[in-house]
Amino acid sequence: MKESQDIESATVQLSPVLETTGLPGLPDSKERRYDRQLRLWAASGQSALESAHILVLGASPTSTSILKNLVLPGIGAFTILDDGVVEGKDLGANFFLETDSLGKNKAEEAIKHLGELNDSVAAHAETRALESILDDDPTYLHKFSLIIAENIPQRILERVTALLWDSSTGAGDGDADADASQTVAPPLIVVRTSGFLADFGIQLKEHSIITTHSDSAASLRIDKPFPSLLAHAFSLNFDKMDVTDHGHIPFVVILVRVLQEWKNDHAGKAPSTYAEKQEFKQRIVKMKKKDDEENFDEAVAQAYKAWTNTIVPSEIEALFNDPSTKNLTANSDPFYHLVHALQIYTSQPPHTLPLSATLPDMKSDTKSYIHLQRLYKEQAAEDKARFTDILRGIEAGAAGAGGGGSVALGMVDDFVKNAHALRLIRGKKWTGLTDDVEALTLAREMAPAAVATHLSLSALYAFEGKNGRLPKPGDGADREEMTAWVKARLTATGWAPEPEPEDSAMTGADEEEEEPMPKEITLWEHVTNAVGEVSRAPAAELPTTAALMGGMVAQEVIKVITKQYIPIDGVCAVDLASSTTGTVKV
Amino acid sequence: MSVAVEAPPAANGASSSSPQYPDQYYYVDQILDRPGPRTDEAFSAGDPVKSFLREQCKILVIGAGGLGCEILANLALMGFKDIHVIDMDTIDISNLNRQFLFRPKDVGQPKATVAAEFIMKRVPGVKVTPYYGKIQDKDDDYYMQFNIVICGLDSVEARRWINATLVNLVDPENPESLKPLIDGGTEGFKGQSRVIFPTISSCYECSLDMLNKPTAFPICTIANTPRLPEHCIEWASVLEWPKVHADKKMDTDDPEHISWLYKVASKRAKEFKIEGVTWQLTQGVVKNIIPAIASTNAIIAASCCNEAFKIATTAAPFLNNYWMLIGTDGVYSYTFEHEKKSDCPVCGGETMDVEVGKGWTIERLIEWLTENQKIQIKKPSLSLGTKPIYFQAPPQLEESTRPNLEKKVHELIPEGGEVTVTASTLPFTLTLRLAFV
Amino acid sequence: MIKIWSMKKTEEAAAKKKPKTSAAQIRVQKDLTELELPSTMKTTFADPSDILNFTLTITPDEGMYKGGCFDFSFAINTNYPHEPPKVKCIPKVYHPNLDLEGNVCLNILREDWKPVLNLTSVMVGLQYLFLEPNPDDPLNKEAAEDLRRDRDAFTQNVTRTMKGGSLRGTTFDNVFKR
Repeated sequence: MKESQDIESATVQLSPVLETTGLPGLPDSKERRYDRQLRLWAASGQSALESAHILVLGASPTSTSILKNLVLPGIGAFTILDDGVVEGKDLGANFFLETDSLGKNKAEEAIKHLGELNDSVAAHAETRALESILDDDPTYLHKFSLIIAENIPQRILERVTALLWDSSTGAGDGDADADASQTVAPPLIVVRTSGFLADFGIQLKEHSIITTHSDSAASLRIDKPFPSLLAHAFSLNFDKMDVTDHGHIPFVVILVRVLQEWKNDHAGKAPSTYAEKQEFKQRIVKMKKKDDEENFDEAVAQAYKAWTNTIVPSEIEALFNDPSTKNLTANSDPFYHLVHALQIYTSQPPHTLPLSATLPDMKSDTKSYIHLQRLYKEQAAEDKARFTDILRGIEAGAAGAGGGGSVALGMVDDFVKNAHALRLIRGKKWTGLTDDVEALTLAREMAPAAVATHLSLSALYAFEGKNGRLPKPGDGADREEMTAWVKARLTATGWAPEPEPEDSAMTGADEEEEEPMPKEITLWEHVTNAVGEVSRAPAAELPTTAALMGGMVAQEVIKVITKQYIPIDGVCAVDLASSTTGTVKV
Repeated sequence: MSVAVEAPPAANGASSSSPQYPDQYYYVDQILDRPGPRTDEAFSAGDPVKSFLREQCKILVIGAGGLGCEILANLALMGFKDIHVIDMDTIDISNLNRQFLFRPKDVGQPKATVAAEFIMKRVPGVKVTPYYGKIQDKDDDYYMQFNIVICGLDSVEARRWINATLVNLVDPENPESLKPLIDGGTEGFKGQSRVIFPTISSCYECSLDMLNKPTAFPICTIANTPRLPEHCIEWASVLEWPKVHADKKMDTDDPEHISWLYKVASKRAKEFKIEGVTWQLTQGVVKNIIPAIASTNAIIAASCCNEAFKIATTAAPFLNNYWMLIGTDGVYSYTFEHEKKSDCPVCGGETMDVEVGKGWTIERLIEWLTENQKIQIKKPSLSLGTKPIYFQAPPQLEESTRPNLEKKVHELIPEGGEVTVTASTLPFTLTLRLAFV
Repeated sequence: MIKIWSMKKTEEAAAKKKPKTSAAQIRVQKDLTELELPSTMKTTFADPSDILNFTLTITPDEGMYKGGCFDFSFAINTNYPHEPPKVKCIPKVYHPNLDLEGNVCLNILREDWKPVLNLTSVMVGLQYLFLEPNPDDPLNKEAAEDLRRDRDAFTQNVTRTMKGGSLRGTTFDNVFKR
């Protein structure tokens, strides 16, 4: 109570300077508290976070670290499920338990100390055992936005993954019951840690992202100028301009004009050979009235845009052919309606994505720049209107078929703005790499260290599943058993230990390259290191490992919940002994 | 794992490294009780390493902000028990989305003090000594007392200062003078951590050119051809503020100052038909605000503390020497060795021991330098600390330092004094360590 | 604790201990003592033991600004050369690339600064402004407009204002007073 009052009284200060200006006042307390993150995911991301309810299985050090990083930015609610009692070893590694917690329920104690980080977050404890929930109340799990499972024994984990995967009918299945209303089970993040090693992966059916925050910029359409841009480029009389104005013509205008003139001389073709491209650049240089005209230098530097064909990127094209777009129903995710509308849109001339209204900064005077910006904005608005018409048409058709509402305007805006950088991730049921021979074969070549870490953790789980106990720390026989398990998985992919150096030199029949690769650590050395590390301290919840995983997993949760930025697609393996990470596709 | 585990073999006899309650270090001890496959031979498993970590090791944390809070909590849990923390800031409401040792009631209090108290309350047996002030307030003796220094700073300047200070601290006669420096930094979903062994591996200064240069717009654009909302904001802060407020310094932490800039920038934007000036953007531009979130800070702080733990215990090899993380598209990280720069003005260059005769003048010393075949130096300029001894140029400084030429070396420079020598023929700087004979 | 002292190359490396001089200070010493300024430029240090703050006087011997003494204050902070020196023109001068508050429009003082540049680059850049005032990217828009419209009239304005004359209600500083 007291604390929240303090925030309020600290904020309601009005700004004397802004009085009578008609400008909005200072940011409110919430905007100020979340200022540093709103600069990343904006109000839309924040409101998604605030609507989410996360379930975490187990009040381990890693679990509370993850939650800390979600409570601070203001997740709506969280629940910790744990039927255990706090022991000395728990609170020694867990910052969110204290001495008073000893002997009490772990979930209840942890939520107390996590909850105090942010008054606006609802904290719940679930003290039933996970297995009894799975037995008696399996739909319990479905009410959450996302579930995190850390260090859950294999036997129980398999029940959780199956429950969530099999009950979820992603539209991607494209099967007979596609018309039925879908149940989308919450995504599950599986986290495993052992001493210095850890890994995690996300089990989700599909995840579409509009606001990817991609670094790639949308096309400026230099090669396919829209009519008002082309007209503008030719409305200017470059020769008659005074030196100052000439030095402030935006490079976009210069390029559009030079390209059109070039095409007129070259049967409508853009420069294609190296010589032509050089000649094109020379044309621009020759137009300079003064040596130091930066706008012309910018035009030369950006000249490649003149011969970069503005087409629909292949990744976006792939979305058109996605089963979910093909088998669109009234109940499909709005994303697929938008993609379908985009497909129709791009099938019409000029066969490009809708224009982006965003114009980068460039050397120019204010008037020329603002004018050019207005041309882009107007065309972008026109393109969006055409896109929206198509979309509404699709929706009307769906409504006739008994389907639902229309995509919100804000989402249409975002979609059009980011149409060049959309992403779709399709996941698999979480099994790790254990049984996926194809993925493992590829991964062991691409990322041997990550594969070694991942398989060693899997070996630990398999050991525990088989023997009903964890390996004894440092025990040779237990280590051998885990090593053998890993070797069997690798052998199944056709892998064999690297032959002795003399052997490979003698036989030469091997398809492996003969060149010595000095000091390159082999897959098997990685495995020996990783299994050795797991064997050293099989169940150690190292606080730094927990904190690091807490950060990484929280980043992924934020990305999944806000549908902004791009979550991992595969398994991320972390080795804090060698200070490395790697991601392998599963 | 939620499965019972056999207890590890009991440590031989209790010492003062023993926990405050049973099993406090249950998990960390599993790592310290036996080596792993990549552990250095020097690792002394069990009590020796535990007693060093928990009884002797003294660690300094610079910054009690986004990274600092996380670093302090990690170190405490890992078993570092003598922790010092320096921070010159007080708590602001915008810190609360990530600096988890602070509550709304703490707003306005010194970060270092509040953080230290919180850690000591939460983790029994740990002593955290706060200092509310600048790193520059402290002298070499202060920094000398630590085994390891970890930085969680957001300022290039402060990092350069502590880096140079720790490089300067290195005394070849005294192994204890070499303080490993671990540095972390974040921006949004990205971050990096690195390990610096002053004078041995690449230092902060060596990698200065890797930094993104601060965004600056041409002043004539700001004055005449604004195109972006940022240009209008810079116009308000760079050109209009000094014009209107004369000598009153702009305080970017004062909301009324930001409001004034916002008002002025908005007016200009309207005049030029530029859209997008907001209070937040104004604040972001003038304070150069870098987005910051708890999760990225957690990752980078954990990495820093993991390296500190490995260096303190040799339980596993430490990072050599740079780890960068990008979390915007999946999880991408890259571990690499940043190369030391031979001409680094902080850790590069050469040091020479020079035996100076009793009667030597500064002129004689310069003569000796220019005649020395080994260094091939022409027209050297000399200084001691910030004090010029003899400068070849510009004319006024040459003139004002010329009288020093006739003075005896020992009148100007103490025994063991270190003279900085620069010359156009030297690509790096040369340091002379003087001994009088 | 790791045995740092047994690390490779230790002796050699450890011998490279540096003096207690900041990197900025060393860079400025190097920059200053290697300055080779033409007779048209001169540095003045108010306090010869403080090399981070000084005045540069430019006395152009050709061009429209010939004969004037233009003082610029240089303030270098400890973040040099990560950050450029802060340079201000002290007298009020009628010039397209200087404003009435002493701000200077020179790219390497802001957006194009990089640590490989040095004080010589800045000084040479400043001198160039007097030889070739640039009206296309101005700071003093009126002066730029004058120069663009009528070079001779602009030159007359320059001569008048350099003597401390007024123009459109603004009184400029006499730069001939020494």
